[in-house]
Amino acid sequence: MKTENEVIKLIKEKLNPLEVNKLRAQNLAVKLENEELVSSLNYLKSKGYSHLATISCVDWIEDNEFELVYHLFSYEDKINISVKTRIDRKKSKFVTIKNLWAVAQYYERDIHDFFGVEFEGNDDMEELILENWNDTPPMRKDFKTRDYVNEKFEWREYHGQK
Amino acid sequence: MKEKYKSSKWQEVINWAQKRSLFMLHYCTGCGAIELPPTMTSRYDMSRFGIGPAATPRQADILLITGYLSTKTLRRVVYTYEQMQDPKFVMGFGSCTINGGMYWDSYNTIKQLDKYLPVDLYIAGCMPRPEAILEGFLDLKEKIENGEAKGYKKYKEEYEYYKTNQKKVLGEVKRRQ
Repeated sequence: MKTENEVIKLIKEKLNPLEVNKLRAQNLAVKLENEELVSSLNYLKSKGYSHLATISCVDWIEDNEFELVYHLFSYEDKINISVKTRIDRKKSKFVTIKNLWAVAQYYERDIHDFFGVEFEGNDDMEELILENWNDTPPMRKDFKTRDYVNEKFEWREYHGQK
Repeated sequence: MKEKYKSSKWQEVINWAQKRSLFMLHYCTGCGAIELPPTMTSRYDMSRFGIGPAATPRQADILLITGYLSTKTLRRVVYTYEQMQDPKFVMGFGSCTINGGMYWDSYNTIKQLDKYLPVDLYIAGCMPRPEAILEGFLDLKEKIENGEAKGYKKYKEEYEYYKTNQKKVLGEVKRRQ
């Protein structure tokens, strides 16, 4: 069982991170270049971080970037690591990690639903949660939910007022 | 039933009998579902009023829409409603079914239930307490006895209107190969 500081030291030695932070007890955040990500995840998996809890995505619209966050957990160290990488928002393309964790296929499908990010190598990109969606992906910051609702649904009128 | 029996004395007897034996489909869509267990069980005990829970749509009389409906759930609710046998009554529960409630600007929930299903009665509130549900049930029973709860007939007559609205938000079913 390793402590947070030992894990930080290990990451700094073995990987090539842009930034490593201890967020709070049992929670670390690692920022990585795009190219480094898959090999780093592979390394962390071999060191006991075998549980991929989820993959999340953050829309940094002002930086014109999406941030993909891979949440790993180790049952030995009892530590969460959030492995982050930023991709270009316009291209919105990244590589799949379904070869490392089969479950990633579904997380990637989910992100494709809500952010429109493509994952190369994962060709099962059918809609997972949404149905018949043909607008901007709804969790993108530039999706105008009010306009969409105005167009698709009708407001109830109260005494002639909407 | 033949036309001549409608609104006759015989129909009144049928209405009287119908209102005394109502089965509510236990199909929960939104957060309002949490109010149903106390309504059904010993604390408020809706079986005092002749209303019981039913497990399947084919044996149920009341479809209670308990809260917000996402478009994806609406498709399932429509399937469920069309499986139910006549006479059937729809009750909209909570402000979400009336005007969207707190999901008024959500891209994924419907705003007015009566555009998609014929609602006989709304219970307002966010969310209504079991007392309000029971009050709603009593009102529904009164409507049934007076022959005013004709939602299922309206659904047949204005089938095109409901289908157009449903298709507008749902689109056609796409099946996975």
